[in-house]
Amino acid sequence: MGNMKTDRDVMLRMTGIRKSFADLEVLRGIDIEVRKGELLAIIGPSGSGKSTLLRCINMLETIDDGSIAIEGEFLAEKGEYVSGDKARRLLGCTGMVFQQFNLFPHMTVMENLLEAPMQVKGMKRQEILPLAKELLAKVGMSDRADYYPSQLSGGQQQRVAIARALAMKPDIMLFDEPTSALDPELTGEVLKTMRELAEEHMTMVVVTHEMAFAREAASKIIFMADGNIVEQGNPDEFFDHPREERTKAFLRNML
Amino acid sequence: MENLLHTVVLMLEGTQVTLEIFFITLLLALPIGLLASLGRISKLRPLSLLMEFYIWIMRGTPLMLQLLFVYFALPMIGVKLPDIAAALLAFTLNYAAYFAEIFRAGIQSIPKGQYEAAKTLGMTYPQTMRRIILPQVIRIVLPPVSNETINLVKDTSLIYILAMNDLLRVARTIVQREFDMTPFVVAAVFYLAMTFVLTWMFKKLEAHYGKYEN
Ligand SMILES: Nc1ncnc2c1ncn2[C@@H]1O[C@H](COP(=O)(O)OP(=O)(O)OP(=O)(O)O)[C@@H](O)[C@H]1O
Ligand SMILES: [Mg+2]
Repeated sequence: MGNMKTDRDVMLRMTGIRKSFADLEVLRGIDIEVRKGELLAIIGPSGSGKSTLLRCINMLETIDDGSIAIEGEFLAEKGEYVSGDKARRLLGCTGMVFQQFNLFPHMTVMENLLEAPMQVKGMKRQEILPLAKELLAKVGMSDRADYYPSQLSGGQQQRVAIARALAMKPDIMLFDEPTSALDPELTGEVLKTMRELAEEHMTMVVVTHEMAFAREAASKIIFMADGNIVEQGNPDEFFDHPREERTKAFLRNML
Repeated sequence: MENLLHTVVLMLEGTQVTLEIFFITLLLALPIGLLASLGRISKLRPLSLLMEFYIWIMRGTPLMLQLLFVYFALPMIGVKLPDIAAALLAFTLNYAAYFAEIFRAGIQSIPKGQYEAAKTLGMTYPQTMRRIILPQVIRIVLPPVSNETINLVKDTSLIYILAMNDLLRVARTIVQREFDMTPFVVAAVFYLAMTFVLTWMFKKLEAHYGKYEN
């Protein structure tokens, strides 16, 4: 097998993605490809379109043009999303973690994890409980199962949010600046959880400002500015030998 | 003493009418108000405008006028309702409008992120509303709904003008007949008892739904 990779390994492929908000063109023809088990880190200045790109993958926003294929099947083709069962099935392949956690405040940690599998997949509490417990253990939150989100620190909430997304067994995890709302001393625990996920070969797309994390955990870095991909490469090459002036200027500011 | 007992018995009958109006109005106005609020925030422009218009009329005119309209004006165009139905129609339409505004404010105070999280977990819009949004809305709207409900107890006395024998009218009749103010005091005690029970119930509800903080 070695490094031979077939097309079947491609979990997410976006081609020619364009998107405007009114007069503002936010994505100007983006192409990305993420293979199974890869962690793609997307970095770039504020307003460059990183969140929008991520949110087009799960239809929180819709593209104007281009195609999105998830595990080889079109979710959107030439700007048109598929609908109905197919859309639901493909959207089910992704899970998302938000900057603001977005846990359900009226439910305990455990209820947050059980909710979607029970409502969406129609699973019984008993069927999903073992996985839920396993996931809470994985993110180090077993002892907080009966807490409400408001009783947790930001870092703990974000780890629960990761477990909640994983409870739906997605194949691809999308992270939109998962540590940006956290105090610096709490980012470490969330990044550690994400690193562990990566080590288990979860396919991940991570928008982040954590350069150290990107360098160490990512398989590939994409640098975006003004709705374009300015430069991409493997982490060492990208951080040690950036080719574009914009990249160099951005990295100088970040490091 | 015997007189007072007699007064109380008569007034209990009046209270029954009052409670009937109160409970049926509440039972109808809450769900209708919820539907109206969903219509009001709907992306269907005509529906949203229609609900806005309805709420504007109901909140912008006196309940007394609405009662008179249903009771006296509708029969003139050939719609004759039994007394109690007419009163219930006016009360329900009026209170549903107030509840609709309370619910709308409650629903709109839920952050967008809650909808987005539910959507990325695969939940449908009805599932999201029922399981995620409305339980949080209930907690937010309980205090204003509690206020309106207590107002409703007192507003039921407006049917006085429709010549229906509610608590207030019974009291007034006895006062006029016997030149004795006691029935008014008894009426006050009855209203206070009702609002006291309601206040207590809503406190319990608020405690129940307030287990968590935002
Ligand atoms: N719903 C929206 N309506 C209008 N404009 C929007 C909307 N969402 C994003 N934008 C605009 O699109 C541009 C790209 O936004 P986006 O959130 O994708 O950037 P970002 O790279 O994620 O930035 P940040 O690092 O600050 O999160 C910005 O100029 C933003 O103001
Ligand atoms: Mg962003």
